[in-house]
Amino acid sequence: MTKRITTLAIALTLGASLAACSKSEPAAEGQAGEHAVQHIGAFDGDAARGERIAADKQLSGNGQACVDCHGPAGAKPIDPTYPVLAGQYQDYLFQAIHEYRDGDRTHALMSLQIQGAVKAGKLDDQGIADLAAYFAAQSGPLGDLSHR
Amino acid sequence: MTRSTIRTPLLAGGLALLAALPALAQTPAAASAGSAERGKELTYTCRGCHGVTGYKNAYPAYSVPKITGQSAEYIASALNEYRSGARKHPTMRAQAQSFSEQDIADIAAYLSSLKKN
Repeated sequence: MTKRITTLAIALTLGASLAACSKSEPAAEGQAGEHAVQHIGAFDGDAARGERIAADKQLSGNGQACVDCHGPAGAKPIDPTYPVLAGQYQDYLFQAIHEYRDGDRTHALMSLQIQGAVKAGKLDDQGIADLAAYFAAQSGPLGDLSHR
Repeated sequence: MTRSTIRTPLLAGGLALLAALPALAQTPAAASAGSAERGKELTYTCRGCHGVTGYKNAYPAYSVPKITGQSAEYIASALNEYRSGARKHPTMRAQAQSFSEQDIADIAAYLSSLKKN
């Protein structure tokens, strides 16, 4: 009798967890679909594609390419208030461009550049990852405060 | 005798005011006139994150930016953007709000003075 109840209990538990599994799968798919059809991570970029995007004067519709202001390879900005991008962390660049896109970081010029490019359909998540890959791979003067 | 003792401080005060005028006029451009030496001391709290190579921000996870070697003007404008809320990072906003204009100028002078490590 005790044996039979235990077996029944195990069977019921298994059945319940199976139902839970099959239920959770479509839910997870739906969630991913809501946020992004293709999930592009911070390190999924291609530097060669990024180089072309960085030099594209038609990216934002105002005739200015990334490198026109941040300098060749993003290493020599034309204005001292513009940052060096060359050699910056790839995932930081990815984050920063997304913040401009989403309005979480605002700058008179950069917000227009990024949001303009996105609206024109010229910069998607893959393009942002490509730009991050390109600028991160360039050599520049940037460093951190370790051993200072 | 009494007159001249009164006059001397007045004259000194007037001269001090005159000397201060050009300094006042230059205040808006103070960001480029920072002391790197004082800036180094002020970066003590920055080191918890920016002094650890590859240190990651949490939620979302990404590497905190490399900040040495940027220009003084960019560092100052970034800190001012955190202060105003144009950049929303909570920790950086709190840090930037704790700094005076002079602190920002000094930090900017120090960070921009560092060569690549």
